[in-house]
Amino acid sequence: MNAPPPIEVRQLRKVFRQTASGEPVVAIDRLDLDIAPREVVAIVGQTGCGKSTFFDLMIGLEQPTGGSIVIGGKTPYGDFDHFRGEIATVFQQDRLLPWRSALDNVKLPLELIKLPEDEQHKRSLHWLERLGLGSFTSAYPHELSGGMRQRVAIARAFAVQPSILLADEAFGHLDEVTAAELRERFLALARECGSTAILITHQLEEAIGVGDRIVVLGKSAKLLADIHVAPWLKSQHPVLREAIQSTLQNNSPDPRLDRL
Amino acid sequence: MHPEGLREAGLDGKLSRQTVFSLLIFAVAWEVLSHFAPALGIPAFAIPSFVRIGRSLMTITPLDVIVTIARVIGALILSFVLGLCLAMAMYRSASLESYLHPMIRLFMAVPVVSWILFAVLWFRGVEFRIAFVLIAVCGPVFLVDSLDAMRGVSRELRGMMRSFRPTTLQYFTKLMFPAILPNLITSWKINLSLAIRVVTIAELVGAVTGIGHQLAVAQELFSVADVFAWTLVLVALLFLLEAVVVRVEQRVLRWRA
Repeated sequence: MNAPPPIEVRQLRKVFRQTASGEPVVAIDRLDLDIAPREVVAIVGQTGCGKSTFFDLMIGLEQPTGGSIVIGGKTPYGDFDHFRGEIATVFQQDRLLPWRSALDNVKLPLELIKLPEDEQHKRSLHWLERLGLGSFTSAYPHELSGGMRQRVAIARAFAVQPSILLADEAFGHLDEVTAAELRERFLALARECGSTAILITHQLEEAIGVGDRIVVLGKSAKLLADIHVAPWLKSQHPVLREAIQSTLQNNSPDPRLDRL
Repeated sequence: MHPEGLREAGLDGKLSRQTVFSLLIFAVAWEVLSHFAPALGIPAFAIPSFVRIGRSLMTITPLDVIVTIARVIGALILSFVLGLCLAMAMYRSASLESYLHPMIRLFMAVPVVSWILFAVLWFRGVEFRIAFVLIAVCGPVFLVDSLDAMRGVSRELRGMMRSFRPTTLQYFTKLMFPAILPNLITSWKINLSLAIRVVTIAELVGAVTGIGHQLAVAQELFSVADVFAWTLVLVALLFLLEAVVVRVEQRVLRWRA
């Protein structure tokens, strides 16, 4: 894996047109954000605040209307192919291919970067074993539980050894115990691999629990707060939680965040 | 095809009691009618007995059967490749689709007989004529089915695939093709029975080999027994080809079990 490049978001803007009326909808309005290599950032915001649009822009599936996302001097949309094998994603739903076994699903991104066949097999097996699915390699997605499927999806993301990992509400649909366990596993692996990890979530507990840094987005992805979560701050959890909640509710930074 | 459907069609390798019974009733009714036909004022040759049909079956020329199968399979493979490639191009380009779509609709509305007449008037070679008719009839079915199926691939899977940045070829081979495979197999089943019927008419009108040609010969000789025998071969052929497709389906779609 290459050393993760810095991510620079400058005056990022994304406007959609409504299909029926043609009216413009501003999903992201002039967002500025810097993410350092190997940082673990939790992006938190209410439903409809533009988190998922930001996710699509980061992956390069959408073109910004204005401003830019620059990763190591390249843009994910304009230099789409450059990031093959560099950015990997875990989605809210596992999004496994139903006709492929667990092993073959993990192999998918490795086939796309044209790794030799034996290396594909070795690496896929390794990641399935790391995620505790060594004895389910030949199982099809419909034969696995929701948590197991999400593990396969995580293994698939790690298999390419990406420099940037993106997770969009990846644990939100799982039960609390499974979600907490998977979240921890995901973070431990991301840190071990030295990847930059960006987790998008609407759950405050998750954001506080995982992030080195919490970015709070308001309507139209307006940057409301950017909190570097030092270990001592995590001990202030209830206060931090309330401050972020109030920030989100009022769509403006809570004064308590300045004191933290 | 669903296992229930397979059983109903008698394609699961076993004949149900009901199937055997209904076939038996038909055979007995036919045999009885063949014996009493002259007494009922029907010419004897119009309803031949099974002994006479059996004799006709013994004279079936395998070469004609092979020629018809080759024509059907060859044209279906060509139609499939052509239909799938065009569907992929139309899926990629909305403007190409807006130009081609009306033409495809027009092609699909043209009756088979018209295609046969066009082929006879336009082309000299018999094989080319037959291939043209089969491709003109079956190609659009493959195209429309493939395109519809591609559009039905979930947005989530498409997004996941694109996030890994595949090449266009990888996108189609790793996602689109396997995702639409169940629909393609259904198209093959539909087109198989369509192609058998179309090739028979095309051979009947303008060929000197194949089952259709043999049917034309039987008609000229007023031999209902021969027509019956060749028809039996056609039906058996269709069941056999469908059974092959079902086998392929069971193998490639075993993940759905």
